[in-house]
Amino acid sequence: MTKKITSLFILIFIFPSIFSCKKFLDIDPLYTQDAENYFLTPLDYDRALTGAYDLLQSSFMTVWVGEIASDNSIAGGESVNDTEGLHEIDNMNHDAVNNELRSIFRWNYSGITRANYLLEFKDNIDFEGKDKIIAQARFLRAYYYFELVKYFGDVPLVIDKRIGADEVTKIDRTPKSEVYAQIEKDLIYAASILDWKNPTKGRITKGACLALLGKAYLYQNKFDAAAMTFDQIIDQNEYMLIDKYTDLFTVANEGHTETVFDIQYTGAEGGGYDCLICLEGNAAPGFQGIRQFEGPTYGDGNSYNLPTQNLYDAFNPSDLRRDASILDIEAFKNANPSVKYAEGGGGHTGYYNNKYIKKKAEIGLPDNDLTSPVNYHVIRYADVLLMAAEAHNRATSPDDAKATNYLNQVRKRAKMSEINASGNQLTEAIWAERRLELSGEGHRFFDLVRTGKAAQSIDGFVTGKHELFPIPQVEIDLAGGNWNQNKNY
Amino acid sequence: MIKRSLLVFISLFYLIASFGQNGTVSGTLSDSLGEKIIGAAVVVKGTNMGSISDENGFYKIANIDLSNAILVTSYSGYKTKQIKVNGRSTVNIILSEISNNLNQVMVVGYGTSTKKEFTGANANLIGEELQKLNIPRIDQALQGQISGVNISTNSGSPGGSSSIRIRGLSTFGDNDPLILVDGVVYDSEGLNALNPNDIESINVLKDATAGIYGVRAANGVILIETKKGRRNVKPRIELSAYTGMQQATKKLDLLNAREYAVLKNEMHANGGLDVPFQNTNLGTGTDWQDAIFQNAIVQNYNITVSGGTEKTTYSVGGSYYSQDGIVGLDKSNFTRFNARVNLNTEMSQRMRLSSVFLYTNEERNALPENGIGSVLYNTINAFPTEPIRDENNNFSYLEEVSDIINPVAQMQNTYNTAWVDKFVGKEEIAFDITKNLTFTNRFNYNYALVDNKVFSPLTWYGPGKSQNTALNEQLDPTQVEIAPGILIDRGASVYEGRSTYSDINFESFINHSFQFKKIHTIKTTAGVSIFSRNGKGLGGTAYNIPNNSIDYADISANLAEGGFLNNTNSFQFQERLVSGFLRAQYSMGSKYNGSLIVRRDGSSKFGPNNRFGIFPTLSGSWLLSEEDFYDIDRIKFLKLRLSYGISGNDQIPNFAYRGLLNGEGVYVFNDIITQGVAIGRAGNPDLKWETTRQFNVGADMKIFHSFDLTLNYFIKNTKDLLFQPDVSGVLGTAGAGSYPPIINAGDVSNKGVEIELMYSTKIRKKINISTGINGTWIKNEVVKIPEGIEFIPGAAFGIGGGVATRFEKGFPIGYFIGYQTDGIFQSQEEIDNSPVKQDGAVPGDLRFIDQNGDGIISFNDNSDKTMLGTPIPKVTLGYNINISYEGFDFSANLFAALGQDIIRNYERQQPYANQLAYNIDRWTGTNSTNINPRITTGANKNTIFSDFYVEDGSFLRLKNIQLGYTLNPKITQHVSISSARIYIAANNLLTLTKYQGFDPDIGSVGGALASGIDYGFYPQARTIMAGISLKF
Repeated sequence: MTKKITSLFILIFIFPSIFSCKKFLDIDPLYTQDAENYFLTPLDYDRALTGAYDLLQSSFMTVWVGEIASDNSIAGGESVNDTEGLHEIDNMNHDAVNNELRSIFRWNYSGITRANYLLEFKDNIDFEGKDKIIAQARFLRAYYYFELVKYFGDVPLVIDKRIGADEVTKIDRTPKSEVYAQIEKDLIYAASILDWKNPTKGRITKGACLALLGKAYLYQNKFDAAAMTFDQIIDQNEYMLIDKYTDLFTVANEGHTETVFDIQYTGAEGGGYDCLICLEGNAAPGFQGIRQFEGPTYGDGNSYNLPTQNLYDAFNPSDLRRDASILDIEAFKNANPSVKYAEGGGGHTGYYNNKYIKKKAEIGLPDNDLTSPVNYHVIRYADVLLMAAEAHNRATSPDDAKATNYLNQVRKRAKMSEINASGNQLTEAIWAERRLELSGEGHRFFDLVRTGKAAQSIDGFVTGKHELFPIPQVEIDLAGGNWNQNKNY
Repeated sequence: MIKRSLLVFISLFYLIASFGQNGTVSGTLSDSLGEKIIGAAVVVKGTNMGSISDENGFYKIANIDLSNAILVTSYSGYKTKQIKVNGRSTVNIILSEISNNLNQVMVVGYGTSTKKEFTGANANLIGEELQKLNIPRIDQALQGQISGVNISTNSGSPGGSSSIRIRGLSTFGDNDPLILVDGVVYDSEGLNALNPNDIESINVLKDATAGIYGVRAANGVILIETKKGRRNVKPRIELSAYTGMQQATKKLDLLNAREYAVLKNEMHANGGLDVPFQNTNLGTGTDWQDAIFQNAIVQNYNITVSGGTEKTTYSVGGSYYSQDGIVGLDKSNFTRFNARVNLNTEMSQRMRLSSVFLYTNEERNALPENGIGSVLYNTINAFPTEPIRDENNNFSYLEEVSDIINPVAQMQNTYNTAWVDKFVGKEEIAFDITKNLTFTNRFNYNYALVDNKVFSPLTWYGPGKSQNTALNEQLDPTQVEIAPGILIDRGASVYEGRSTYSDINFESFINHSFQFKKIHTIKTTAGVSIFSRNGKGLGGTAYNIPNNSIDYADISANLAEGGFLNNTNSFQFQERLVSGFLRAQYSMGSKYNGSLIVRRDGSSKFGPNNRFGIFPTLSGSWLLSEEDFYDIDRIKFLKLRLSYGISGNDQIPNFAYRGLLNGEGVYVFNDIITQGVAIGRAGNPDLKWETTRQFNVGADMKIFHSFDLTLNYFIKNTKDLLFQPDVSGVLGTAGAGSYPPIINAGDVSNKGVEIELMYSTKIRKKINISTGINGTWIKNEVVKIPEGIEFIPGAAFGIGGGVATRFEKGFPIGYFIGYQTDGIFQSQEEIDNSPVKQDGAVPGDLRFIDQNGDGIISFNDNSDKTMLGTPIPKVTLGYNINISYEGFDFSANLFAALGQDIIRNYERQQPYANQLAYNIDRWTGTNSTNINPRITTGANKNTIFSDFYVEDGSFLRLKNIQLGYTLNPKITQHVSISSARIYIAANNLLTLTKYQGFDPDIGSVGGALASGIDYGFYPQARTIMAGISLKF
C-alpha cells in the first residue's frame, strides 16, 4: 500500500517537471489580433484604414480654436477656468502649458501613426483595390500633418513607420517646407488614385484630395499651383452650391452637392467628458449650445465659442448668411417667449454659433452635449470657390475675371450683389467674403495669419509670435527637451 | 447544550500494570493567572495514556503507576512541563506561557518556522487582536499594527478598499503585496470577501525572505491562516455579535446663505459682472451636508464551531456583516455572508489531508465617489441659497452651475449594485515518506463571480445638466437614431455586467529535515508551482425599462425596438506562472541560522525574450544571547538578523510585451458606426519584471523581563520599474483605446527604520497590562528615470488644470509640484515695485516666488515650480494598550501618520459654487489679509496649483477604544457558557489633524502618482458599538 502511494506521489511530483514550462507559458491573447501579424487579408487593410479615419473626429477642436483665436468669437463657457486653454487662446496670452493645444498635437499624431502603421505594411500582400486604401491612408496622413503645420509650424516628420520612445528623443522638428512637400506628395498620389465619386458616405474622394492640396498650396502662397488644382475641381462640375445657405448644416441634408470633405459623426453611441477622443459624435455643437436652454428648436449646451458683435456687425443686415451663421439669442427669445437660458460666467455676447449648435432634432445618446450627429464640413465647395478666386487673383499672372466669377457665385447664393473689382481691391473683397461665408467653421484665425491680417484684427496678437501656437512644453520634455520652442514663447 | 462535562479523551491503549501502586490521578490545569486551561494534553511519560483537560481545566487518568509515573503536559503557547506524581492522586498543574512566543510556530511559505530561528524580518499577528477591532476589512484592521506596513484608506464607504504598502512605495505601478490565505492567492482587491473572524494568524514577510514567492514578492507577502480546530477537543461553539451606529466625524466649514450671497456679490463685482443678490440677508440657508450625512447602522454576527477527534480537527464558521453608509444609507451599503470549513485529518499514519473552503457572498451598493460628479463633491459645491426641494416638493435644480447637481436627488436616482460570490479553497495531502521527509501536494482554487447592475432612471436635474437622462422636466425620453432612419426612444436604462475570475494552482513540494552530530540541522524545502488565472466578462445596456422603475431593471425587461442593446462588451484574459523553488536552512545549535532561497519563475506576462527569472535570497541570524561569553543581564534574549535578496514584481497588464490590435478604431461610414482596428498598447518585446534588491539588518531582543524590542533597518532598491510613461505625442498613442508602451525604466529607493516595542506587566497579580508601540521612518526617493525624460507627469489639479504631481529623480514618488506663494499683493504699488514681474497680477492676488531668479514668474513653463509637499508620511506610528483587571478589560489602538501633505482638490472654482468658510477672510483691501486671495469671476492666476492648495495631512487617530466585561465563569457555567464577554467600543472616535477636509486618511484611487489628492473623499465613519461574545 505504502509503496503504491509513494509511487503515485512521485508520479505527481514528476508530472510538472516533464510538463513543458515553455509551452505552458506560451499563450496567445484571446480573440484579438497582434499588431505585427496583421495585414493578411484585404479586410485587414480596410479595418486599419477605418482606424486611421477615426482621428478625423478630433477636428471639433479646430472649430473652436480657429474661431476663438480670431476676432470671430470668444471662448465662453461656464467660467474663465472652464477649459482654461481656450480662454488663454481667446486672450492671446496662451503659453506652452495648454491642454487643448496638447490634445491637438497628440490627436493628429495619433492619426498619422495609424496611417503610417498601414503604410508600413503596404507591401505585405497584393489585392485589387489596395491602391485605393493606400491612397486614403495617404490623404489622412496629409490632412493630419496639415493641421499640425497650421498650428505649430515645424513638426517632426515621420513617414511609413512607427517610432519608439527612444527614437523620438533623437529626431528634431522638421522644417515646415519639408512637411508641406510630403503633404503635397501624399495628396497628389491620392488624387491620382481615387475617384470623384464614392458610393460610401464619408469616404475620401478625388475632390477632397485636390481641395486639400489646393489649400496646402494656398497656405504656402503657391498661387499658381493652387489655381490649377482648384480649377480641376471646378471644371469637373462634380460639385454645386446648394440653393439655401440655411440647409448647409443640418443632418438631414448631409452629403449635399456642396460637400467636398466632411468629417462624419453619429449620435448612436454615448460618451463622457473623460474621453473626448473616444466619441463618435461631434462635441462642438453641444459645447456651443445655449446654456441652460429651455424652449423650442435648440437644446441646452455649454455656451462655448460665442460669436462676437464684431462678426455680427460685419454682415450686411440683408445678408441672409448672418442669421444662418449667428443666433441672436435675445431676438430668438423675443420671438419665442417660452425661451429660458442663462449667461455663462466665461463670457456672454448675446450670440451663438448657429451652424454648429445643439438642436432638439439632432440629439445623440447621453451625454448628448458630446454626441451630436452633425458632420463637420471641413471643405465645402463655396470654400473651394473662394480659395480658387484668391489663387487666381494672387497668381503670377492674375486672372481676376475668373476670380470675380468664383467670388460672385458665392455671393449670388447669399443673395448679395455682385462685386466687380480687381487687384488688391478684389483680394480684400475675397478675404472679406471668406469671413462671411465661412464664419464659425474654424477657418478664420488661420486665414488671418495666412493673409497677414491677424495683428490688425485680433486684440493682443503679437506679430512674430502668435502666427504659430507654442509646442506644448510637456511634448518638448517628453521628446527629450531638444526641440526649440516657437519664437517668442 | 451539553450540560455535564465528560472526559473527552480516553486513551486508546491501556495496560494493566502488573506491579506497583496503580490508581487514578486527576487535577486541574491553569495558567499563571489562575485561568483554567482547556484542551491541554496530559500524558503519562513513556505511555500512550493521557487525558485532555475539559472546560473546567480538569483532567483524569486512571490505572497508572502512581508512584513512578511522570506527567507530561503539552499545550501550544505554553511551556511543556514534567511532574512526578509521587503517589499523589490529585496533581494540580500550573503552566507557564512561553515567553516572547519565541517558539510559536509561524507559517513562512511552504513550511513553518519559529521566531527564534527565523532569519527574516517579519511581523506575526494573532487574529483575535484584529477581530477585536470590529473592522470589516483585514487591511484596514492592520493599520497601525505592524511597523513597516502602511495602510491608507482609498474610500471610507462601506466596502471601500485600502492601499497596503509594505516598506514604502517602490513603484508607481502596482504596489500591492502578495496575499495568500492558507496558501491560496487572494488579491488585495478582493479582501472585502475575507471575514476577519475567520483568521487565526497573519504573518507579514517584509524583507527579502519573502523571495520564496519570487516574481510576486517584491511588494512583500502577507500570509493569512484561517482558524483550525484542535485535536481531542469536544465541539466548542463561539458566538459573537455586535451592532453599532456610525456617523460622520466632521463637517466642512462652508459658507451659509448670507455669507455666500455677500461673497458672490463681491466676486461678481470684482469680475465686472452684475451682482446676483440684491438682498444678502438670507439667513443660514440650506446645509447640504446635513442633508447628506446620516447616522447609519453596522452589525455583525459570527459563529464558529471547532474541535477535533483523535485524528481529525475541524473549524467551521459562518458570519453575517452589514454596514450602511453615512452617505446614502442603503445606496452605499455593504453586506457580506461568509461560510468556512477548515478540516484536517489523518488519512493514515503517514498521510494527512488538510482541506479549506471559504465561501463569500457580498453585495455592495455604491454612489459616485471621488471627484467631479460625486455626491460629496456636489454637496460641498451646492449653494446654500437653494432649498433641497422647491415649493412643489420637487428637487431644486442648482441652475447656475451646469455640472453641480442636487446631491439629494442624485443619491435617490443612483442604483449601482455589485454582487460577488467567491469560492476559495485548498485540498492538501501531506505524506511522510520517512520521519524526516514530508511530501506535500496541494491544489488551490479561487473562483469569483462578479455581477454589476446599474440602473439609470429617466431623471432631470435641471436645464443644462450633463447628468440628465431625460429630455425635459416631464421626463420624456430622448430619441436616438440607431441606424439611418431608425429612431428609438431612449428611456430608463440598465447596464448589466457579469465577469468571472478563476485561479487554479497546483503546488508540490518536499520538506526534509536532517540532523547530524546533534547540533547541526539542515532543513530543505523544494518544490514546484503551476498557476493559471482566467477571467472573462460580458455586459450590455438595455433601454426603455418599464415604468422608469428599478423593479424592472433587467436586460430581460428591455422594451427597446428590435431588442436594441448598447455598449455591449466582453473581455477575456488568461495568465500563467510556472515556478520552481528551493530553500535550504542550516542551524547550528540554535545559535547560528542561515538560509538560502532560490526561486525560478516563468510568467506569461513577459515576452519570450525575458520570460524566466531567478530570484535568490540569503539570510542569517545569530542568537548572541546563547553564546557562552554573553553576559548582558538586562537583555535576556538577543538575536541579530541579516538578509539580502532579489525579488520581482510582475503586476502589469497581460500581453503588454506585444502590440495588440485592441485599440478603438471606429469611424462612421454611411451613417453607421464602422469598426476598424487600431493598435491598443504599443508593444515592447523586451519587457521584464521589476527587480527589487533588499537588504535588511535587524535585532530582536528581550530587555529585562517585560520589554520586547524589534529593530530593523532596510534598504530596498527597485530597478527597472514597469511603467507606462506619458510618451511623446509623436508616438501616436493618444487615440481612443491606445496607450503608450509599458517599459522598464526608472529606479526607486526606500530606506527605513522600523521599531516595535512591546511591554507587558502585571500589577499586584491582578492587573495585566500589555502595550506596544511601533514606528516606521521611510525615505522614498526616485533614483533614476528613463533617458531623455525629465519627469513623468502625474495627476492634474482642478478641472483641466495643470499637472500637480510628478515622478522625478531626486524626489519622492508622486511629490507635489507647483508655485510657491509669498503672501498677497497688497497694493498696485507693491506690484509695480516688485522685483519680480508677475503677469496679470492685481492687488489681492497671490504673490508667487520666482524660483529660478530670472525676475519673472513664468506661467509658460515649469521653471518657477517647486516641490510643495509629498503624499508619503515621514513617520507612521501605531500604539496599542490592553489592560485587564478581574473581569474587566480595556483596550485602545492609535495610529498616526506624520509629515505627509494633501492637495485640497474638491473646490469647484466657479462663479456660483459654494466655498469653504476660509474665504470669509479673503483679501478685500490693503492689509486685510496676507493669506487668502481676493475673489473674482474674472481671469486670475490664483486658481493655478500653488501651495495655497496644499495642506498638512498629518493626523493622529484613535482607531478603536473599548471596554469589556467578562462575566464570572462560575455563574455562566450554570448555563453551559464557559465565557461570556460584553463590551462597548468606538472606532475613529477621535482624530487630531489640521487638515480641513473630511478625513486625512487618504489613499489613492488613481495609482501611486495620485496619492494624497482629496477629490471629495468619502470619509470613514465614527462608529459606536456594543457587542457580546459567548463561548460554549
